[in-house]
Amino acid sequence: MIWGVGVSALLQAALPNAARPAVVSVGILYFAVVLGISIWAARRTNTARDFFVAGKGIGLIALTVASVSVSVSGFAFIGGPGFIYAVGLGAMYIVLPAAVTNVMGAWVLAKRMRLLGEARALITIPDAIGARYRSRGAQGLSAVAILVGIVGYMATNALAMGVVINSIFGVGLGWGIWIGMGVTLAYSASGGILAGIYNDVFQGTLMAVASVLVFLFVLNFGGGLGEISRTILAHDPPFLGPWGRLTPLAALSFFFVFSMGSLGQPQAVHKYYMLRDPLQLKWYPLLKTLGLVLVLLLYFSVGVGVKAFVLSGRLAPLASPDQATPALLLNVTPMLLAALVFSGVAAATMSAANSFINIGAAIVTHDLPIAFGRRVKNELRWGRTVTVFIAIAAAITAQRSGTMVAFLGIFGWGLFASTLVPALAVGLNWQGATRAGAVASIATGLIITLALETAAYLKVFSFPAGVTASAVAMVASFLVFFIVSWLTRRSAPAQLDPDVKLVMEL
Amino acid sequence: MTESNPRESRAPHNASDPGAATDTTRRAALVTLFAGIAAIALGYAAAFGPHGTPTWAPWLLALGIPAALGAIMILGATRGGRGVGRLKIPFAFVILMLVIGFGAALALPATEGPLSKLWLGLPARAAIVIYGIGLVPIFVLPVAYALTFETQTLSAEDLERVRKLARERVGE
Repeated sequence: MIWGVGVSALLQAALPNAARPAVVSVGILYFAVVLGISIWAARRTNTARDFFVAGKGIGLIALTVASVSVSVSGFAFIGGPGFIYAVGLGAMYIVLPAAVTNVMGAWVLAKRMRLLGEARALITIPDAIGARYRSRGAQGLSAVAILVGIVGYMATNALAMGVVINSIFGVGLGWGIWIGMGVTLAYSASGGILAGIYNDVFQGTLMAVASVLVFLFVLNFGGGLGEISRTILAHDPPFLGPWGRLTPLAALSFFFVFSMGSLGQPQAVHKYYMLRDPLQLKWYPLLKTLGLVLVLLLYFSVGVGVKAFVLSGRLAPLASPDQATPALLLNVTPMLLAALVFSGVAAATMSAANSFINIGAAIVTHDLPIAFGRRVKNELRWGRTVTVFIAIAAAITAQRSGTMVAFLGIFGWGLFASTLVPALAVGLNWQGATRAGAVASIATGLIITLALETAAYLKVFSFPAGVTASAVAMVASFLVFFIVSWLTRRSAPAQLDPDVKLVMEL
Repeated sequence: MTESNPRESRAPHNASDPGAATDTTRRAALVTLFAGIAAIALGYAAAFGPHGTPTWAPWLLALGIPAALGAIMILGATRGGRGVGRLKIPFAFVILMLVIGFGAALALPATEGPLSKLWLGLPARAAIVIYGIGLVPIFVLPVAYALTFETQTLSAEDLERVRKLARERVGE
């Protein structure tokens, strides 16, 4: 859910050297477990379907924990608390949508995508768009949009892994990038999504445990939430105002982009195909929401807690807001807890990287060939090959320019949201949506996001307070989708196959 | 890239109006979704004015966001011509919670200070937002989803219908 701002914020964190014996030991243990899971999964990956959607599917609990793991990034542990420290409770509007996004996704997408997977053996999100509109063009264009987003995400993620691994082991940023990407590549290429899922289960559990422990520690250290609030209110009352230091428009924009936009995030939506028994969807939103709440406890408690500790003099003033979590961990918490959190951050970046590598490989070997009327003969072999290529390209890009890499990561969330939400989320629930509407909407989202983000990055154009390129692009994409679909409404019935129509009516 | 796949030429064309299969609930949800998105767009557009963001612009988002989120959930939860059934109560409740939460944050005066009364450890306006918007819906919507799953979302019979159609399709 909070991927978009995640990596870029993590990149700016410049984590301190945390290489203490406890941190290194837990880090080594963490990588050993990842390796063990990967070897196990590689032995069970024999077909392209195994590789891209975990073959016959994943059980409810495993899929839920894995989905929680890929829905957050290092931002939840580092950048997010720092953002709260900087702007107050306004930063909570990024995570507050978690209360509704999972169940919204379940109602809007989960059932229909899972049933489409059942009816057509679909394996990707562009597959679903292609099936819905009977359009290779829509499938290809959505694949291109996702690929553009992934290019940015992978480079930023590789750099984020380098930052975290360098912090844990003190090996230098360059080696950190290659070690992190190498380990992720090893399990992505060998065990595909199966290795990814079960590593996500381990990583998600680690993140939840670390988050809950830190939350309890902060409350205990601060004398409870009431005492923490009293300390802040005595020095900085606006911090605990409902918008913090953000404008209402900015805070509400965060809520809009991170709630509605969640319906277009491939790393989470893709998981709907993987549930072994579609009837198990019943408990999926509740379990995932509870899991997310646990993982996000750290986000809130560290952001607010560190602010109070600094104001009361129990912690030295921070050099930058992003030092909130590292400062707490390295100066206040027991070192074992710090070690758990640092491994949790590594876990968060690696699970997200694996997910994007897998989705990117599926697009290159499956969706783009289909868009051009071709099929790759051995998708498993080519999937593994492309996985290696994506990982190496991401690692090389990450070595080059931190500023450029951070820019690439910024627009990922908004790009997925603006290109996919109307065509996928509304399209699967509205028989009046048309192919022309979907293509126009995806193109609008792609062009506006890239143009506005580039203009903002180059400082050619600046937005009024509270308006973001992601929000503008998503709104424009929605409006274009509705208007073009309405204008071409006569073509809608001919664009629905009977099985797709049945799935949409259930 | 072409605009249609090979299946298109042999797929049966349904000549009926797509709107005919769209029941009142879906239609209302679509109109509300469009209106909510339009309100958000207007709120953003207002921010580009020469005198900065007008005070009413955030209100458009405070109303448009709950409307759009509620509408897309209702659109997804609607089955055939049966509407959303018992789900209308949790949907209405959560949409109302969002409107009240955002509205309270906008409308209530900023009185946070050292002597503020705390609600579960937070000043009033923050507590309304954090607990009302961020926590209460968790105990309503996912539970409502689970309790109505077989009747409103997916039953074993539904699944069998899809699988049967898939088998027929493969056999074609």
